[in-house]
Amino acid sequence: MLPTTTEPAATAGVVRARGGSGSFPVLGAALAAAAVGALVLAGALLPLDDALVVENAIGLAVFALATNLLLGFGGLVSFGQAAFYGSGAYVVMLVWEHWGWSFWLGFALAPLVGAALAFVIGVIALRTRQLYFALLTLAFTQLAYVLAQQQHEFTGGDNGLFGDVLPRWLADARQGYMFTLAVAVVCALLLWRIVNSPFGLVLRATRENRDRMEALGVNVFRHQLGAFVLSGAFCSVAGTLFVIHTQSAYPQLLEWTKSGEPILMAVIGGMFAFLGPVVGAFVYTLGHQWLVQHTAHWQLVLGAVLLGVVLLRPDGLAGLASSRPWRRLRTRNGGDE
Amino acid sequence: MSAKLLRVTGLTKRFGTFHAVNDVSFEVAEGSIHSIIGPNGAGKTTLFRLLTGVHAPTSGSVVFEDGPIAGKRPYTIARKGLVQSFQMTSIFPRLTALESIAAVIVTRSGRSADLLTRFHRAVESEARELLESVGLGAEAETEARTLSHGDQRALDIALALATHPKLLLLDEPTSGMSPAETRKTTQLVVELARSSGLTVLFSEHDMDVVFEISERVTVLHQGRVIAEGTVAEVQSNPEVMAVYLGEGPVLEAVAN
Repeated sequence: MLPTTTEPAATAGVVRARGGSGSFPVLGAALAAAAVGALVLAGALLPLDDALVVENAIGLAVFALATNLLLGFGGLVSFGQAAFYGSGAYVVMLVWEHWGWSFWLGFALAPLVGAALAFVIGVIALRTRQLYFALLTLAFTQLAYVLAQQQHEFTGGDNGLFGDVLPRWLADARQGYMFTLAVAVVCALLLWRIVNSPFGLVLRATRENRDRMEALGVNVFRHQLGAFVLSGAFCSVAGTLFVIHTQSAYPQLLEWTKSGEPILMAVIGGMFAFLGPVVGAFVYTLGHQWLVQHTAHWQLVLGAVLLGVVLLRPDGLAGLASSRPWRRLRTRNGGDE
Repeated sequence: MSAKLLRVTGLTKRFGTFHAVNDVSFEVAEGSIHSIIGPNGAGKTTLFRLLTGVHAPTSGSVVFEDGPIAGKRPYTIARKGLVQSFQMTSIFPRLTALESIAAVIVTRSGRSADLLTRFHRAVESEARELLESVGLGAEAETEARTLSHGDQRALDIALALATHPKLLLLDEPTSGMSPAETRKTTQLVVELARSSGLTVLFSEHDMDVVFEISERVTVLHQGRVIAEGTVAEVQSNPEVMAVYLGEGPVLEAVAN
């Protein structure tokens, strides 16, 4: 699943979404493993309040990774990913609230609902391109938002749904953290696998030049729909992690501004690097946590950071990895120069 | 006479009142190198777009092998084996040459929905072989956007070849190339046609190239076919000479 040392030339260029100019799979895998180890330690050793902030970041990292399948790899800017994220949370809460289903049934059902919803929205929205696509996806997520707000009987309206939905061992905060981390790692590995598969390669090619790919025999609409459905399913899983974090679901999870978060994370962290959105999710979440304690104007800082990244490092923070000293390291690791 | 791979009959494309392509008919023999020439605005590019499905014709028919293809979607036509390489190079800027070719090979072999194999494992050797054959073997790991202009053209042609086309459409394959690059590309096309039995239909400005490698030539002028035949026949056609009067390269070529 992770890159091996046996074919350095072959694996060159697969760590980063855009391929080619930068990758060092061995080093990358080692860093990723070390990061996961650090997160395990953080969950076990940090004061509980701090550990929960990290848990939130982990859940949002899954949301950002799933969104980046469309954004970084597919070149599709969707402002509708909150519809899938929110529906993941709502599915778990709704089936528990109304039918007394266990958390696990809701957890298993959520990605299926997310995928089905993404299929329906994607079939319509993917007939358009660029700005129109972004606006259509935004319209759908606002529709979901309004529906969740107005169906008081079913969704709890503005208050949403909350309650003791988690099984006992998961309700334990430390164990909930470890479970969240485990789900996130599995999602990341699956998405890694997907972006490096033939499907992922063709998706990147459609990002680069849609019309040419069509002229070479690809039904681009169907391919993008496939990516949209996959992304929807993973966003929905991220939504279930939110339930583990807060044991609730409310309309703001479906709002279009919620769709903006994973996009900001991907841009800050680097949407052309596979783990860029994860970096972005942590910077965003932890930065937000720290800033709100010190200033009421944290969004001002967010704006400044975004401007800085877009102007100075369009490849995001992960793009720093392609600066010089790293480049030399990579070459020695059987890179591509 | 060999079998006809492509039959175009009465093909017409009207934009408003303008007939970009007007009642065009011609046939392309299997395994031949056939060129379409004509001054700027003659309708060559529109004709190609009709053949590849970018535009739907106003009227007329296009039969490829034994099936009608006029008005079908571009990817449907491409899958049947009619594939174009573009005048303005149309590549994947941030993919490496190897990845670009691999993306096409997985599509052709019906593996584009495969989510779990590593694509390199699936198609790398075939992709490298193809890059080698168009002279890009050493550039496999280079991002397409940083390749030289000539190499980008070669990659563009390789992309089309990776689909294993039966009929390769080349829209002015040597435009913007240096004489050396033109020669290289021309040789490549001829070799491909000879070695793999590929049928090539191309439009070209450079008459030296046209007269050197074509087996048949169709001449378009103002959307209509004004002449068709072997190189010698077309060169001696008075109407063709009249149309091209004043265009230096042709006169020279004709004089030769």
